[in-house]
Amino acid sequence: MIRQPIPRQWAVALGILSIVVLVSCYFFLSHRQHQKNPNDKTIPNWTQLKEGIGKATEVNRRADERWVVVDAIATAKRLFLGLLFGVVGALVLGMLMGCFAVFEAFLYPPLALLAKIPPTAMLAVFFVVAGTDTEMYIAMIAFGVLPTLAQTVYLAVKDVPDELQFKAYTLGASHAEVIWNVIFRQVLPKLLDSIRLQVGPAMVFLIAAEMVVGDVGFGYRIRIEFKKLNMNVVYPYLALLAAFGFGMDFGLNRLQRWLCPWYAKEGK
Amino acid sequence: MTQDWSSTFRASLTGSEQTTCSRVLRGGIVALVGPSGCGKSTLLRAIVGTHPAKAGKIVVFSGKTREHGREVRQPGRDRGIVYQKYSLFPFLTAQQNVAFGLMLDESSLPYRFCRPLAWRSLHRRHLDQAAVFLDKVGLASAANLYPAEMSGGMQQRVAIAQALIMRPEILLLDEPFGALDEAMREELQRMLLTLYLENSQALKKGEKPPYTIFIVTHELNEAIFVGDRVVGLSQYWNWQEEGAATCPGATIVYDQKAPVFLPDDERDYGQFAHQRERIREVVFNPENHRRRNEFRTFWKEVHQDETQRANP
Repeated sequence: MIRQPIPRQWAVALGILSIVVLVSCYFFLSHRQHQKNPNDKTIPNWTQLKEGIGKATEVNRRADERWVVVDAIATAKRLFLGLLFGVVGALVLGMLMGCFAVFEAFLYPPLALLAKIPPTAMLAVFFVVAGTDTEMYIAMIAFGVLPTLAQTVYLAVKDVPDELQFKAYTLGASHAEVIWNVIFRQVLPKLLDSIRLQVGPAMVFLIAAEMVVGDVGFGYRIRIEFKKLNMNVVYPYLALLAAFGFGMDFGLNRLQRWLCPWYAKEGK
Repeated sequence: MTQDWSSTFRASLTGSEQTTCSRVLRGGIVALVGPSGCGKSTLLRAIVGTHPAKAGKIVVFSGKTREHGREVRQPGRDRGIVYQKYSLFPFLTAQQNVAFGLMLDESSLPYRFCRPLAWRSLHRRHLDQAAVFLDKVGLASAANLYPAEMSGGMQQRVAIAQALIMRPEILLLDEPFGALDEAMREELQRMLLTLYLENSQALKKGEKPPYTIFIVTHELNEAIFVGDRVVGLSQYWNWQEEGAATCPGATIVYDQKAPVFLPDDERDYGQFAHQRERIREVVFNPENHRRRNEFRTFWKEVHQDETQRANP
């Protein structure tokens, strides 16, 4: 029946089954490809993958470091700092716009315009203005996610019913307390939701930029290894990216449940 | 809103101003009724202070002798409000909601940030106080529920406790039970009567009655059952006779005492059928063109009572 719930064990079993099917399909394709061409590198089989993983994790002879470690550190640092600046900026701008009509009139038009330019298309501008160091990546991610996040915050502030604000004043709140203790509290879960959705685009901007100008990082490594058709390194990197994105999503969801336990209950 | 409307509104505002500040009416429950569009909500918003009156003024007195009173220009903690919707902060549990006002009143943002330890012990005290008030409205067991987990009736009860903990000079209720089913509505009406009973007991002991309540409702039975005074605001009155070409606005056309009930009295609407029909006729009938002060006899009734008490 439509929307009929199923037992929890069933749901878990089906979830595991789907992953198993996905992995088996991959190895089936790989197997067939290797029957045609035993030296195939496009769909590496288990032995090739193991070799690739080894290459990525062992101490590299030339650079004296492990690829996966330096890449992960570089990429994660860029992503976190970029998101941090983007989120803080968006929060400040969004709250100002939502709470004060002057800021709304002044900031909304440029933000609405900037939000429409794809940040990957803006890459050239960032390269020119900020060079190709970490700052460039941070600026790019921050500016990439800021318009959407700021609009989320702005709309969330607008969503807070006037009654609650008035009520707070009748309970003796100051303006600052209304902003912090009434409005921000209701904006926070929506902001966390929006960050969850923006992690994806942020990673797109970052990987794209790393592919173009990076000298370390996931995007850089994937590009280099792909050029050498070392798909046995590329696939594990993709799996790592998936795991990383999944972890971020899971963590933010947990954070939301911990900081705003009321929010999940409201949806029901 | 036209200028004319505002000037008539001043008259009505002045009328209800007395309800909030008068010595007699401290401790009363005033019910405001009226047809839709008569400005009930406008009047209430003016008293809350969120949308100040364009003419006339609202003055709140705290009951000290020879007091000038504070003129209402913005919302303040001397006036509590319970709205029909959005009456609670969704991100706080029932107990935290009730304690919220104490937090805002007795601590400041810098204090809470800079002295977290002192704030924590203060907060614990606030929560204890809130628990007492929750118990008073019969919701001690729901202390840790979020508004989304409570029924509409529970939410309104918590909202009333939240407003009362501030000990406001006046508690304003804006159609507070409008969205509730009949059984829940009756329960909450009886809760208001319990507060009224506490008022009467305080008066008997010669103390200042703790609760003054102003309730806006569209339900006439509720107005008469809960209120000890019913005020009717209406745009249907004899403005033609006063020389106006078009209706200059709504004004108070009805202001009389209502019977007083005890919390466990039977709620029999038949008892006050006469008064209900009278209000319907005077306040809600568009064909009504009586003089506007024909049924504004509340103060006369009060004075009569006082003389009777003086010379039995």
